[in-house]
Amino acid sequence: MTRPISRRAALAGLGLAAASAGCLGRTENIAGRDPHSQLTLEINATPADGDPNGIRIARQLEEHLTAVGIDVRLNTVGQTDLWRKVLVNQNFDLYVGQFVETEPFDSDALYGLTHSQFVAEPGWQNPFGLTEMPVDDLLERQRRAAGSDRSDAVDALQETVCDLQPFSVVAFPDALTAVQGARFEGWTQDRQPVSVTGLLGLDAVPDADAAGDGGSDGGNATGDDGNATADGGNATSSATASGADADGETGTALRLVTTDDRITENWNPIAAEYRRYGTFTGLLYDPLVRTDGESTVPWLAADWERPGANTVDVALRDARWHDGEPVTASDVAFTYRFLRDTSLGSVETSVPTPRFRGRSSLVEDERVLDDSTVRLTVPDVNETVAARALRVPILPEHVWSDRTDAATIGGFEFDFETTEAVVTNNPEPVGSGPLRFVEATAGESVVFERNPDHFLVRPAPDADAESSGETTDPRAGVPPRYHGKPAFDRLRVEVLPSDISAVESVVEGLADATVSNLGPQSVPRIGGSDDARLVNGRSAAFYHVGYNVRRSPLSNPRFRAVIARLIDKSAVVDEAFDGYARAAASPLAASPDAVPDSLAWTDGTDPVHPFFDDEGSLDVEAARTALRDIGYRFDSEGRLLSRAQ
Amino acid sequence: MSPFLSVLTSVVAWVGAMLVVASVAVIGPARLRETWTDLRDRIWDARRVVALVCVVLLASAVGRPALLNVSRLFGIQVTAFIYGLEGGFVAWIQATFASPALTAYFSRVYVYGYAFLVAFPAIAYLALPRTADLRRLLVAYALNYGIGLVLYTLVFAHGPRNVMPDMVTPLLFTNQPDVILLASEVNENSNVFPSLHTSLSVTVGTFAVLTRDEYPRWTAVAVPLSLSVVVATMYLGIHWLTDVVAGFALAFGCVALAYRFVDPRDDAVASRSDAGGGRPEPGADD
Repeated sequence: MTRPISRRAALAGLGLAAASAGCLGRTENIAGRDPHSQLTLEINATPADGDPNGIRIARQLEEHLTAVGIDVRLNTVGQTDLWRKVLVNQNFDLYVGQFVETEPFDSDALYGLTHSQFVAEPGWQNPFGLTEMPVDDLLERQRRAAGSDRSDAVDALQETVCDLQPFSVVAFPDALTAVQGARFEGWTQDRQPVSVTGLLGLDAVPDADAAGDGGSDGGNATGDDGNATADGGNATSSATASGADADGETGTALRLVTTDDRITENWNPIAAEYRRYGTFTGLLYDPLVRTDGESTVPWLAADWERPGANTVDVALRDARWHDGEPVTASDVAFTYRFLRDTSLGSVETSVPTPRFRGRSSLVEDERVLDDSTVRLTVPDVNETVAARALRVPILPEHVWSDRTDAATIGGFEFDFETTEAVVTNNPEPVGSGPLRFVEATAGESVVFERNPDHFLVRPAPDADAESSGETTDPRAGVPPRYHGKPAFDRLRVEVLPSDISAVESVVEGLADATVSNLGPQSVPRIGGSDDARLVNGRSAAFYHVGYNVRRSPLSNPRFRAVIARLIDKSAVVDEAFDGYARAAASPLAASPDAVPDSLAWTDGTDPVHPFFDDEGSLDVEAARTALRDIGYRFDSEGRLLSRAQ
Repeated sequence: MSPFLSVLTSVVAWVGAMLVVASVAVIGPARLRETWTDLRDRIWDARRVVALVCVVLLASAVGRPALLNVSRLFGIQVTAFIYGLEGGFVAWIQATFASPALTAYFSRVYVYGYAFLVAFPAIAYLALPRTADLRRLLVAYALNYGIGLVLYTLVFAHGPRNVMPDMVTPLLFTNQPDVILLASEVNENSNVFPSLHTSLSVTVGTFAVLTRDEYPRWTAVAVPLSLSVVVATMYLGIHWLTDVVAGFALAFGCVALAYRFVDPRDDAVASRSDAGGGRPEPGADD
């Protein structure tokens, strides 16, 4: 029996030899120690084709980490694989990515992101693995407190999160979108143009066929009027506007182009690795309420009230699923039960949803009062947070209740600890939203069409009779600019290989708008034609560097703080984003009045973790000194040492 | 798909024109006439390798999406390794040599020159009375594609333009954005190792050197053109140096194997008398 000589065996031999020399103890004391080696960290990011900005942040960080003496592996993976790695398998050191909400969000978004109760769950809930009691306490406080108490809690929460740096906020990008003004107008100027409310707010340009003169310049805020005509005249107005629709379909098509092919193969609203912001699934699945700018508007809910401190009663609109079944209170109750545990108890340990976990965790119990009223138990939280609990996509019970079994491959059950609901691509999605699914070719395109049965387009019952129109209007409470929307009959999303070709497509008039992020090389190409222009609304989907806090030395908040200081956020904004972004320290920097003075970005430097700046480049010595100060050591060649991993 | 069709038409037209010119200049009218009369026999003679190439191309076209998924899930992720190995070499090439004239040249070479380079030898060797070179070439093509497909599946990597966009400009796409559509039809951005542009070009270049007695003019064209394609893959930011080196290795390996598999002795239209019998052509059909 021969075996290769292991290190241990070799040392044993040495030890034996040394024993004769009478110094076994000393040799053992040396040989028993594991050697130090250079620290290796892997940065994960998507390739430039998928997102031209994130990889540039990763590159800068890679250069700075390398300069400091860390062995860096810069790994590029596709968008699905990145989230699978980070959110599902939690098998990463660092990643560069974007947050999932594009509209300015409430501080309670941090609950799902950082609360330690989610540490063992896959998904967008605490992907970093942060377990800090002060953070948990402040997260609970901001849920309960109201008024200035809440502001104080939110301020303290941001300061604590900034100190602990489970992730480093880098910058809030402008939602750069190339749009073709000839066929649709009303592109959101101050927010993400391609969002649920942004797309629903669009108006068709009247007489789009004659748009060759390039006269339609503005498009701002024209959405407020003109909806009165939208009701009856849709069929005729859209027939004239069919214009350059290559599909040969009747009616107006809004044609979007993206580099992200995930929406062409997966329509599962809770599949974390397939959703970016969830814009299109947000149009397929209605939530009970939606945020519209600063306000919260009733959506699938006709109305909601809080009869007690711990309950919310939700009255539903008259609505139907895309397959014709009615939307009932029991669907709503099912949705909350299901998001809490997608197995509904059929699997040993509960399998919570990988998206919407923070807000759905607010609802502890649900009771169907009648067909269209449901009572949710939302214990002792303020108004803002209670409304947030209502912003989850409502799912049809008759479809999703069949998906609660443990996921199988070819009929075999593996120990994946997940359910069919989480892993299904959700083919032929059945929602209740203003758009419904038509067809898709994986990797190439997907087509949705307007849901003619949706309450936005359903005509109000003729106001001729006795009933006062207020209460019977199917769209009561919805801002008028969404009435009769969407302004297109079909929505076609086509996948293109890069941001450059996406912009070219819009400039040439083959598409109406870009969806995915545009980089510095594609933006200057907009403006090649009269009608194509750049819309740069602000996005709240901040770029960040996420740390896997479960892993040493990233588990050390002081170490993370030094890494944060290696990110030159101002340079990122100037170079990676060409100025189309705002550097920030707090994840709430896009939310109005949310950031305390202590975290405000002033004078081009980070208020908490300023870059080790040496006249524009990295001050390597200062960074090394900072690392030495917190207990790290370097070898003679300047490599940062750590225990072999 | 109209932009896609227009760029495809343009490529087909240009390459077709180049093929006609090269056929006359390199092969010569006399040989072309001879080829025409003897065409059926020669193709019959090379039927197995033609079938082989068709099978490989078909398998590649059909299987590629599925294999790409396998690669994404189970492939070895080597982007970080390659980048760590060679760092900013491609960025250095661009920073040192990039000029509008060179960009225009290499963009055209990468698309039009490459298509011409791969297509022409098939015609040129078909015009030879003995089909050994034709069969070797086609076997080498099939091996390139087949092995390339296996490596694409085993290895998952993104190219330099995707990893360091701050230093490497995707010059092909900024210069000829239409071409992107064509390139992405043919190639996924995670299929960079090895560079098939390099391996097929070098295969053609090697054959051109080996057949320099038959077509000295072609050798004079093919060698610089194939090296231009090789440089173009890096100059345009599409491939790493590592991919190119692997492409060279693949090319030489495929040429060597092609010479081993295709036996020149049982060759030539003259030996057609026993063509009905199972003429041994070891390995080529495996």
